[in-house]
Amino acid sequence: MVTVTIDGREVQVAEGTNLVEAARKAGIDIPTYCYHPGLSVVGQCRICFVEVEGAPRLVTACSTPVNDGMVVHTASDRVREARAAVMEFLLENHPLDCPVCDQAGECMLQDYSFEHGLDTTHMVDERRRYPGMERRLIGPHVVQNQNRCIHCTRCIRFTREISETSDLAMMKRGNHAYIDTFDGEPLDNPWSACVADVCPVGALTVKEFRFRARVWHLEETPSVCYGCSIGCAIEVGHHKGVVHRFRPRHNPEINGWWMCDHGRFLAEELNGRDVDRPLLRTGAGEAAATSWDAALQWFVEKACRDGGPRVVASANLTNEALFLVKRIFQDELGARVVVPVDPGEPRKIKNAHGQWVESADAHPNASGARLMGLHLVDGRELEAFLGEGGGPVLVVDAGAHPWLGTEEAARTVSGQTVGAIAMVHTPLTRQAAAVLPSASWIETEGTVTSSTGRVQLIRRGLWPGGESRPVWEILTLLARRLEVDLGLPTPVTPRRIFEELTARVPGFAGMTYRRFTTEPGIPVIEEVADVG
Amino acid sequence: MTLARTRPLTVAPPDTLADVSFDEAMEARIEEILAKYPTRQAALLPLLWLCQDRWGWISPGVMRAVAARLDLAPAHVAGVVTFYTMYQTTPPGKYLLQVCTTLSCQLCGTSGLAEHLREKLGIGFGETTPDGRFTLLDVQCLGACGEAPVIQVNNDYYTGMTPEKLDELLDGLQ
Amino acid sequence: MKPILLRARGEENSRSINTYLRLGGYAALKRALIMDPADVREEVKNSGLRGRGGAGFPAGVKWGFVPQSTTRPRYLICNADESEPGTFKDREIIHTEPHMLLEGIIIASYAIGANTAYIYIRGEFWTEAEILERAIAEACRKKYLGKDILRTGFDIDIHVHRGAGAYICGEETALIESIEGKRGQPRLKPPFPAVVGLFGCPTVVNNVETLACVPHIIEHGAEWFAGIGRDVRNSGPKLYGVSGHVEKPGVYELPMGTTFREIIYEHAGGIRGGKKLKAFIPGGSSCPVLPADRVDIPADFDSVAEAGSMLGSGGIIVMDETVDMVWALENLLTFYAHESCGQCTPCREGSDWALDIVRRIRAGHGQPRDLEALERISRHASQGMTICPLGDAFCGPIASFLKHFRHEFEDYIARAEPLPPKKLPVLPVRSDRGPFGI
Repeated sequence: MVTVTIDGREVQVAEGTNLVEAARKAGIDIPTYCYHPGLSVVGQCRICFVEVEGAPRLVTACSTPVNDGMVVHTASDRVREARAAVMEFLLENHPLDCPVCDQAGECMLQDYSFEHGLDTTHMVDERRRYPGMERRLIGPHVVQNQNRCIHCTRCIRFTREISETSDLAMMKRGNHAYIDTFDGEPLDNPWSACVADVCPVGALTVKEFRFRARVWHLEETPSVCYGCSIGCAIEVGHHKGVVHRFRPRHNPEINGWWMCDHGRFLAEELNGRDVDRPLLRTGAGEAAATSWDAALQWFVEKACRDGGPRVVASANLTNEALFLVKRIFQDELGARVVVPVDPGEPRKIKNAHGQWVESADAHPNASGARLMGLHLVDGRELEAFLGEGGGPVLVVDAGAHPWLGTEEAARTVSGQTVGAIAMVHTPLTRQAAAVLPSASWIETEGTVTSSTGRVQLIRRGLWPGGESRPVWEILTLLARRLEVDLGLPTPVTPRRIFEELTARVPGFAGMTYRRFTTEPGIPVIEEVADVG
Repeated sequence: MTLARTRPLTVAPPDTLADVSFDEAMEARIEEILAKYPTRQAALLPLLWLCQDRWGWISPGVMRAVAARLDLAPAHVAGVVTFYTMYQTTPPGKYLLQVCTTLSCQLCGTSGLAEHLREKLGIGFGETTPDGRFTLLDVQCLGACGEAPVIQVNNDYYTGMTPEKLDELLDGLQ
Repeated sequence: MKPILLRARGEENSRSINTYLRLGGYAALKRALIMDPADVREEVKNSGLRGRGGAGFPAGVKWGFVPQSTTRPRYLICNADESEPGTFKDREIIHTEPHMLLEGIIIASYAIGANTAYIYIRGEFWTEAEILERAIAEACRKKYLGKDILRTGFDIDIHVHRGAGAYICGEETALIESIEGKRGQPRLKPPFPAVVGLFGCPTVVNNVETLACVPHIIEHGAEWFAGIGRDVRNSGPKLYGVSGHVEKPGVYELPMGTTFREIIYEHAGGIRGGKKLKAFIPGGSSCPVLPADRVDIPADFDSVAEAGSMLGSGGIIVMDETVDMVWALENLLTFYAHESCGQCTPCREGSDWALDIVRRIRAGHGQPRDLEALERISRHASQGMTICPLGDAFCGPIASFLKHFRHEFEDYIARAEPLPPKKLPVLPVRSDRGPFGI
């Protein structure tokens, strides 16, 4: 560790840390464009100039490592003058089209111009334009407006260093250089939309998000991607009850600063609720809307009698919901519970240490289910489990496995008594005797366990839509009606369930909500879990 | 006796360069080039020169073949090709007339030569005559300021040019 | 002074190895190879030889930065990317005695412990590359190159690497990037090439003229070399390239510190057509321009620096009284805007912006704030604001043209017509309906 003084504040940082990060640690923001903590340092935007005592010239903070005893000034007159000059250079050719630019509000050029720029310009000549590259789809998800590019090369370095696909390169040179793919080929790699995340300006934007919402209206809720077992940390951007986008959230151990396109574009799915009230079949024909009271009573009377139901739980549920499934159905009612797991497409993401993290399956919480002591099954075993008959079937998540959503699954359970919890109708829910509406991923709080063995917290960003409720709440209500004592203090909250879970499941021992605020996911205790 | 000593370029038409492969003679040269450097990437500029000598210009198909030969990303190769001004990315004429337009040559009368060329050939800078014989380019300092004004035709320098010498030169370039 | 570097100019077959041997060539190499490499470095350091590429950094000191304990390969690169407007001396050396350069490269490689050397030659110098290839083949046959040269156990290979049209590749780290097969974009320093250079290994980059001096230093000694020129900081023979408005443009080899007056008026035959000297650029276009009244200063590193410019590469561009300085600056800025690699902001944006301004001034649309803008650009795109010295290279001319010939710019602006007003068209209104939907 070395000690540096930045604007009079002493801060201790590891040797080799650059001045941008050191200042950040001291609570001082040094503006940067080309610098990105996840990419190599090129020092070419020149906005991060700082003054180091004893150095004759200003130095770029991103490319200057700390030295013990270094004294740094980030706001001296010289620094301000240099920054204002670089801002003027950058704005010399940048179109002033903020009102129609979708990056506005999260544009570093806009922000730093306000903070560090001049209030005027000496520029009177025509701005540089790139005809034909002003609103151009350069891949399935990315739109390029080269006029706005500030040549920071973050996107190029992303495709070189992170995705390792090298799709992008700087073409030509000097003031007329531009970003392009090779010979009109699409920018199509599994992480392509990350180039828009790293773009500090509106030169690269995500097609699916463009002009859906002004970013200053968006509320961003920290969550975890549910697209596969890796569990990339994300932020869910939503406004007025509508989910607009997923963006990666920094987690050095799991996803670094990145996420894949598959996960990112699941966002739209969260707006797709079509079960918004409890449904109950009273005679022949479609199930009809009913009250929660009546529907829950059906589950108690019809599904949970006589040795309990056959339960299909889900690796898409939070640890808390799975814990309740285990407690109520497996431990108290003695029911058979399976958790179907689909291997899904192999996916991978690079963490902040430059290592690839690979997916184990297509669910966010199969690891949690395993640690809980639930029985994991594959698609064929699930089919056999449902096909062998005997007792009612309770599907805790109708979207638990792709096969469960097929006509074939519906045929397999036809003639059996089926109760389901669902957000979206499937052939199976259409013939179920009762359906309870469940809250979506952004409408519930809880924790999930990544296949990397880290437990992360997902926050609730929206109130449950329609009359839906989070699965943990539905299970709590059921438990009360079944007179199962979960030993939880009222009111029951995910946090209280989590506390109970950490006390009872060895793999989660010692975890607290508080630790989620400081740790990039809490590692599970694997050895104990294996023994127990 | 004519002034001209430059041989015409071999210029491959675009449709022949969509998908290229290296023949035996080129492969032998590539191996020689690779032996000079500890990394394969370092052979990029020499290999591009080899291709331009062979086909007259560097098409996307050529870039792809070079990238595959050196285990590089095609986008990287394109970035390099477009960075350096001497790699031609469109088919040039048989003779590349490169007029130095920087200060020392200008002081000695380049603009008159450029005007003369434009009139005589009926094309501007960056254009090729309809018969595919000449491409006119304005280039920056050629490093022969003591013999200004200088014109480079393909690989050869012609120094101390005057409109009269230029006429003689152009007539000799068939 | 009897020519040293250009001693064989005009001789028949001066490029052949036999001529070179007859003139005493490769004797210095034999002498160097029995010396300790550290002594070779010391000798060159004592000679005061400063880099002839433009920066004027002492060559022996540069060699001393190479870590000697490393097990990694070390490289020597000869910078023959001569692209600075007004500079054409390296081409002259290659045309005259390419073996002198090769001998210098071999000795330098020996001194720093390199077994591979590359000559990075600008792409336009096709003929010169051929000359060097031929000379290398000759030297290989005579065992001055290759494995175990002259049975001393020292291995050395020289490869010619052609550039492809980029001035910036004359900057040593851009040159290294270019050899590595990348876009020629200068690297951040530190680390310096002497520690992390070509292929990540210690590397020394020296200019052609610098290396051509080396055999003579070894042969005649450091003292002899230091004795030529003004003092030990400004020593040796220097090639001055004179171009522009002179009667006899060309390369002249003179002792370091010859005055510009002597170079221009005696050697280059004076101003063309008997006109008056207006200004001269002392060392390649990136050196600040000097007005005619500075013509009596000696052309050495320190004297030119004192006069507010740089000796640079020694390429003197002479402008007579008819030259429009606004036009001249526009010409130079065209060059720099064309050659900026585009990597860092101040140079990429500043070079083109400055060109736009000067072009507009000359087109008769100058504005009162233009000179202030030019000064701002020249202040903020130089002095370490950029990764490499290309920022300084175009800001030097801007600042010096404005300093010495400001009135010419002001005259243009005073005579300027305002820019045609940008009137937006009034969009046509559909006439089949009255206003406001009535």
